[in-house]
Amino acid sequence: MKKIIFALVAIMFSASVFSHGPTPQKVQESVTIAASPQKTWEALKNYSELKKIMKVRSFKDKLMKAKYELIEKDVPFSDYNAQIRVKKGANDNESIVQWTARFYRTYKLNPPIPEGQDDATAVAAVKKIVGPGLEGFKKYVESQ
Amino acid sequence: MKQKKLSIFTSKILYFFILTFFLVFLYFIYLDSFNKENISKAYITNQGDNTVSVINLNSLKKVKTINVGVAPLGITVLQKKQLVFIGNVGTDDISVIDAVNDKLIKTIKLHTAPLSLTSNSEETEIYITDWFKNNILTISVEDLKVSGSFKVGKTPSGVTFNEKYQYIIISNRDENTIEIYDKDHKLVKKIKAGAHPFGIYSIDDFVYVANVYDDSVSVINLVDWSKYNFLVGAHPYNVRVHNRIAYITNTVDDTLTIFDLSSKKTIKTIETGETPENLDFNFKLNLLVNTNWGGDSISIFDAQSLQLIKEIKTGAQSRSFGDFILH
Repeated sequence: MKKIIFALVAIMFSASVFSHGPTPQKVQESVTIAASPQKTWEALKNYSELKKIMKVRSFKDKLMKAKYELIEKDVPFSDYNAQIRVKKGANDNESIVQWTARFYRTYKLNPPIPEGQDDATAVAAVKKIVGPGLEGFKKYVESQ
Repeated sequence: MKQKKLSIFTSKILYFFILTFFLVFLYFIYLDSFNKENISKAYITNQGDNTVSVINLNSLKKVKTINVGVAPLGITVLQKKQLVFIGNVGTDDISVIDAVNDKLIKTIKLHTAPLSLTSNSEETEIYITDWFKNNILTISVEDLKVSGSFKVGKTPSGVTFNEKYQYIIISNRDENTIEIYDKDHKLVKKIKAGAHPFGIYSIDDFVYVANVYDDSVSVINLVDWSKYNFLVGAHPYNVRVHNRIAYITNTVDDTLTIFDLSSKKTIKTIETGETPENLDFNFKLNLLVNTNWGGDSISIFDAQSLQLIKEIKTGAQSRSFGDFILH
């Protein structure tokens, strides 16, 4: 019963709240890494795993901010742009890496929205890239 | 006798209290009018948390958060009538805020997603781009009700009003066009823009539109209909022009391009917060303000020196598509 109610609420939510085409979606996640911001930033520039998924647009050294586009085309989201920032952590040997992604669902026309082309699907797919991506990068930096 | 004396005494006290109360009341009214005349405010639509942040631009502080409909995006501020109109694309309605006391006074149902809003120069009519049904809806400011609609091109996005020619001008994102309508809602001209024209602005004899996919801005002459494009940063979103200088938000670069329209050269590129979307001026305080969708904030610059004065946290996914500053 709980599941059914949850599903109904989810359907209502996705139909009414996210039925509009022009709204960009946002996924923003952070991870704390046991390394100085400078070390983490240099590691980010060299880390090859992320470059397999995303094309680098720019690395701004002064701001410790990297900009990416998506390489992969067969995904349930569109117009993906992301940035990864390295910030100071609680102490000198700690940094916070924040990944912010902006994208849209694949179906941009009037409702009804076909299954698998809605905002919820797009957000879930991007979360699958961002979360494990940050974890993988954390392991890489901390094993250096 | 004693009773009479007492009653004179009490009535004197009562009189004294009424007088004091009245004077205090007058004093507060005086203070209030003083506030109204002097405070400039920025109204920020936070699409991610269904609120509007009110920023006092004199003190550079967030002073209030107002709950509106779901997923607020577009906005326009009526300077003379002191009203703010907000478009909620999640609940298909318009929230009207009284800018004197920053309270929600009315919700106008539309039954379609309002993307952006503007008003005519007399502030009697609001124009709303209806993204899904390809219309412009009009709202009567006096009645606060939908007063009509007219058909336009596909996916109407940005809307602006040209005071000199009394034109309603829109960008149709998915068909890459600009349409210009007169005040009787008759089409004057339809022109090709770049790819994905979005934010639009018009002053004097020109229209300026940001072409998101082309990384460019189109400039259209309203007299001879000539047109040229200039390149800006990545994924420009909106444009404002003041004294023949264009200011453009580049969403992917986190920058503003400052472009001289006379010499046709980029003068400067300045850093903003994350994912800058929309911008507006306050000339009284000499401020340039932009919303940062990614940073959940606004950046406030000195309009002359273009130095960053302050970045202020607002709400989730700050957008304010339209004119958002009360002067």
